[in-house]
Parts: sequence; C-alpha cells; structure tokens
Amino acid sequence: MTRTRTLALAIGLAVAASGALTGCGQPDVTKDRLERAIGPTFAGLYVHRADLLGEHGITVRSVGAVTACDRGGPKVPDVGPGPDWICMIHFTDDHGQPQDGKFEVQVRADATYIAGGPSKLIGQATLTDSHGQDVPNPVFEWDGAFDPDH
Amino acid sequence: MTAAVPAVAPAARRRPGTATVLRWEATKLAAQVRSRALLIGAVVVPIAVVLIFNTQLPPKDTIYGRHIHTSGYAVPLFVLAFAHQWVLPLLAALVAGDIFANEDQHGTWKTILTRSVSRTQIFWAKTLTAVGFNLLVLVLLAASTITTSLLVVGSQPLPGLSGQLIPAGHALPLVIASWATAVAPVLGFTALAILLSVVTRNPTIGVASPVVLGMIMQLVGSLGGLNKARRLLLTTPFETWHGLLTAHPFHAPVTTGVIVSAGWLVVCLAIAYLYLRRRDITGG
Amino acid sequence: MSDVLAVNAVNLTKAYGSLTAVNNITVQVARGEVYGVLGPNGAGKTTFLRMLFGLIRPDSGTLEVFGRSWPRHGVNSLSGVAGFIESPKFYPALSGRRNLRLLAGLDGGDAADRVDDVLDMVGLTARQHDKVRGYSFGMRQRLGVASALLRNPRLLVLDEPANGLDPAGIRDMRALVRRLADTGLTVLLSSHDMGEVEQICDNVTIMKAGTVVHHGSIAALRELAPEQAHRISTTDDDRAAELARARGLEVTTADDGLDVRGPQKDVDALIADIVDTGIALRGLTRDETPLEALFFMLTESAPAGPPAGLDAATGGRR
Repeated sequence: MTRTRTLALAIGLAVAASGALTGCGQPDVTKDRLERAIGPTFAGLYVHRADLLGEHGITVRSVGAVTACDRGGPKVPDVGPGPDWICMIHFTDDHGQPQDGKFEVQVRADATYIAGGPSKLIGQATLTDSHGQDVPNPVFEWDGAFDPDH
Repeated sequence: MTAAVPAVAPAARRRPGTATVLRWEATKLAAQVRSRALLIGAVVVPIAVVLIFNTQLPPKDTIYGRHIHTSGYAVPLFVLAFAHQWVLPLLAALVAGDIFANEDQHGTWKTILTRSVSRTQIFWAKTLTAVGFNLLVLVLLAASTITTSLLVVGSQPLPGLSGQLIPAGHALPLVIASWATAVAPVLGFTALAILLSVVTRNPTIGVASPVVLGMIMQLVGSLGGLNKARRLLLTTPFETWHGLLTAHPFHAPVTTGVIVSAGWLVVCLAIAYLYLRRRDITGG
Repeated sequence: MSDVLAVNAVNLTKAYGSLTAVNNITVQVARGEVYGVLGPNGAGKTTFLRMLFGLIRPDSGTLEVFGRSWPRHGVNSLSGVAGFIESPKFYPALSGRRNLRLLAGLDGGDAADRVDDVLDMVGLTARQHDKVRGYSFGMRQRLGVASALLRNPRLLVLDEPANGLDPAGIRDMRALVRRLADTGLTVLLSSHDMGEVEQICDNVTIMKAGTVVHHGSIAALRELAPEQAHRISTTDDDRAAELARARGLEVTTADDGLDVRGPQKDVDALIADIVDTGIALRGLTRDETPLEALFFMLTESAPAGPPAGLDAATGGRR
C-alpha cells in the first residue's frame, strides 16, 4: 500500500533526522549555568525566609551565596540532566555566620531543577512565621529554572 | 417521487468561496457531540481539577505543584505544566485528527468532492476549522483555569523561578503569557493530527497517534542525550514559559519554540495537502 | 458547440498495483442521450464513473465532460454534472434538509433555492427534518437523487440507482429517470441488470473485467441477441427433445426440463406437437430475455462464450 509506504518513509526520515542531530551542539544543562542560577535563587529565597521569620537586614548581598556544583562524583562529566547533582552553597546566615550547605539538586532536561537543602542549616519544611502561623520554608526545597542558551 | 423535473439550461454557476466551505465545516463540527462536549469540558474540567487539588497535598514533582495552596497564580502554571504532558496534544488531536478522517468513516468524500468546490478549498476550510476550534478550546481552558484558581486560592504573590516573588499585579500577565506560549505547539500538534488523519484515513489513529508521538517526544526529550536537537521536538515549545518567570526573563526559547512549531505546522500541512490533492477517492 | 460530446472518454486505464480495474476503455456519450454502462459487479463501471467525477485520476487516457477535462479545468469540469456513485452517503448527524443545504452551499449559485423543490420531487418533504441516521436505504437513495438534482445538471450520472431498493422503489426510480431523460437531460446509468438498461437506455457499453466487450445501440444489440429461450418440462422430456430437434430448434437438457431456443413460431408449433403426441406439458416458462442472454454470454466466461466478432479481451479480474 502506498499509504503504509508513505508513513513508513515519514517515520524513517524523522528517526534519521533526530538520530543525526543527536549529540550535535552544546548541552543545555551545564555546571556553569546551574551555578549561576542556584546561587542568586538561594539568596533570594533565604531573604524571603528571613522576611517570614521577621528578621530584618538580610539582603541578597548580605547572604552572598557562592555555589559550586558537581554531578555524580568525580568520574561523571558535569553536564546533562539527572537527579545526581550536588551543589555546595557557601553563604552568610541570618546570624552573620559563614555556612557551607550541601544541596541535592535534581536537574531536568527542560532547564528546570528542584533543589533541597540540609535542614540543620536552613530549618524544617515548615516555618512558624512572625505572626505565629505555619508556612512552607521557601529554601527547604524549591523549583528553579535557568537559561539554556547563556 | 412525483411532480415535475427542473428545467434544463444551467446558468453559468458561480463557484462558492472558501468562506462558504468554512462555514459548513463549522456547522458540521457544531453538530458533533464530541466537539460540544470538548468545549463544555474545557470550561468545567479545570474548575473540578482546581477544586480537587485544593484539598490534596501539593504535588511537588511537577513544577509549581508545591505552591498551589499558597498562590492562585501558581495553580494555572501547575495545570499548564501538567497539561502539556499529554492533555494538550490530546485536545489538539480530538477534532483535528478526526475532521478529515471522518469523511472516510462516513464515506462522504465523494459526496462533497462531486460538488463545485476544489480539494484545495476543502483542505483549507477543514484546516482552519480545526485550528480555530483548538484555539477556542485552549482559550477556554486557560480562562477557566486562571479564573477558578484566583477565585478559589486567591491572588497572592507568585514565587518566581529564580527565588524572587512576583507581585500580584505582574503575575497575571505572566500567567496569561505562559499559557499563550502553548498556542504554537498546540497548532503544531493540530497539523500533526491533520497529517496523520489524512494519511491513515482513520479517525482513531488520527486522534491517538499524535498523543502517543507527543509522549514519545516528551520521553526522548527528558533523556538529555539530544542536547540542541531537543529543540526540534514538538513538545519542547510547551516548556518555554519557564523563561518568563525568572528574575531576568529569557525569551530565546519562546522564539525558537514558535519557529519550531511553525516548521512542524508547515511540513505537516504541506504533506497532508499534497496527499489529499493526489489521493484517489475509492471508498464510500 | 452542439457537437461536443457530453462524455468523451478515450483509452482510459487505471490500475491498482497488479490489478487493472479499467483497461483502455473508450466511452462516448452524446448530449441528450440515455446511456447505459453495463457489466457484472467488478467490471470497472464504478472506477470509470469515479474517474468521470475526478475522484480517481486515470493512469492514462483522456476524459472530457462537455469538453472540459479534470487536468485542465479542475473542479470546473464538473460544472453541469451531478449524480452519485455506489450508494449515496450523507452526514448522519445532520437532517436530510441540512445535508442538502450543505451540499447546495458547496454548489454555489442558486442551488439553495431548489432545496424545497428537490425534496418534494423525491418525496422526502415529510421526513426532511429527521436526521439521516434514521433514514432507510431507499430514503438515502432518494436523497442522493435529490442532491444531484440540486445542481440542475446537464449530465446526470447514476451508479446502480436501483440497488437495494424494493420493487416499488425500483419502479419509482425508473419512472423518475425516464421523466428526467424526457426533459433532454443526458443520463449516464450504470447497472448490472440488462433488464433495467434495455428499458431506459438508447446506447450501452458492456464491460467485463475492466475492458469494454461491446458498445452500440440497444437496437443493434437486439439483432445480435440469441432467440428467446423457453424452459419446457413434460412427462417425457426425451421424446419432447426429439420433437424440438425435428422442428429445427436448439435444445439443451437441464435438470428440470429442456431449454429450447428458436423463432417464436417454431416454439409455438412445438407445444402443439407435444400435446398432439399425448405427452403432458407440465411447465412452460420464458427464461431470460434475449438481451439478458446476450449480456451473460458477453460477460461470463461460460462455455457459450461471446459471439464471433465480439472477442473479449481478458483483463485482470477484480
């Protein structure tokens, strides 16, 4: 049947085209892009956390987050999506103390990620805010996105 | 079968325009239970979904799922992220995958192609009907989801995707813009469904296969091995709204998504058109 | 202009893979004629009519309708042409009237003004608002005729119009076709039933397995046809057969009697002979008409075969 042939041809072409393009170009998910996104995001959320707790004088600048990310230990190249990214965030906490937190990061191919922090540094999933209400802790776990082009 | 017979001498007939054909395609569509149900569903189902999720624990594995109780602006984004996995391809295919193939199913190609309209006119009338209908469904879906979310959850500030809080006044245009980015890939899926239904002549395949292809593309795209080639997938443009919600918004993926969707649209429609033009109508 | 043929199909061929549905056929229909395309199912009649409507493109050959051809004039070559192919199909979810309004929309011109007239003409006025889903086969067939008349055609193409109709429906359909033909309309009719065609048509083309085995006028066909055959059953068929041969009649023995073929007066004389001899006559029936007999000879690869000079080129069998 001509129909079946046409369809087979179309599918074949699509497979061939995607196959040929596989691996072409630069990867979307890189260590550099992730580091540039996670640091400021963490800082912003940490400020938000401080606001909820009624702590004043905490700014993105005072948090001063610096990030170093690594995927799956030294043997795995630091590119590509996966649940095995670890980002070390060095920052100044709400008591003015320098801290190093190890954040587990799940990076998706669509240039978004979910990061979760250590509760001994940033608290539990729920906070009691300055009004005495239980609210989610913004830095406990968060969604973020980064630009896959720059 | 009595009475007289019409007089002979046919006047030089003025051929009907494509607008007339379009009007009748819309009439046929409006007479279908499926399309009416789809329009009603596009309004009612989001209301139910929002109400149900409002009583559930936040689904944290989908983006914005964790915020659905804290911001009414997060809910439509969560619904959008969930819907593009397979709901939007399905909605795009339900009418588009059927509008050509149901003529095969009813055996009515010969009925309409032996009148005074060309296959080209029929093709464009059907294509425009499917496109118009799918845009309407998308608009209704978005409007219903956004309205219900704001009424049920409230208009609290929206958490952005780089740690910032987006004030309520700015959040609504961003949410609407995020839904608007789905227009291009939905039209791409519309064209894909049209192509598959024209070629297979089977409404079931026309509706189901774009959804299956969408899920395959989603799966392939999530693996990460494709790198830049991932952007050629028709599912990738569904994700480009993420860039609108960061502190420094990036629009390049949106632009790429529109171009890629347009590419799929043009290629699928061109093949479908040539196929329909050349095809022998043997059934019915 | 008047010498332009209504249908001028020359050397049309259409194959699907190894199967040749239509093999190098030529069919020419003059204006005002009622023309029959006759053949058993699978002879290629419908494929030919589909080519006429531009639904199927021929592999080779040319086809003009009122001087216009599909490759050059596209859908304009259907101007003045209407009809249906196989059983007419409509949108089941729309009413009969709405289906006609839709088709009138696709016809353009003043077709929409004729919806009431054509519904009345085929006797569907009372059921016009019912969905086509609930129509009987005969009603759909009538709606098919109505949808063709909407176009106010110069050439009406009807593919097996009596198919699936009950005897009353067949009678009405034939009467309608004859009335339409009387208005000067050119009618192209396909059928597998010689009886139907011989009553209505002026000229016929007989097809078999994708090829034309004969064409000409019904009158010319009658000349070629064998004599009327009669089936006779008696108490002593062997004796009766001898009497028939003595009269110079052609005799074939069947299970339940004799088939005798010859001039009517000889058959009449044979009956008298049989009775005179004291054999009881138990049955006397007229078999198929002479034209039907000829049709079967032309289109079946029966032992009789086609008469000399009407050699059937064998094509692929569907």
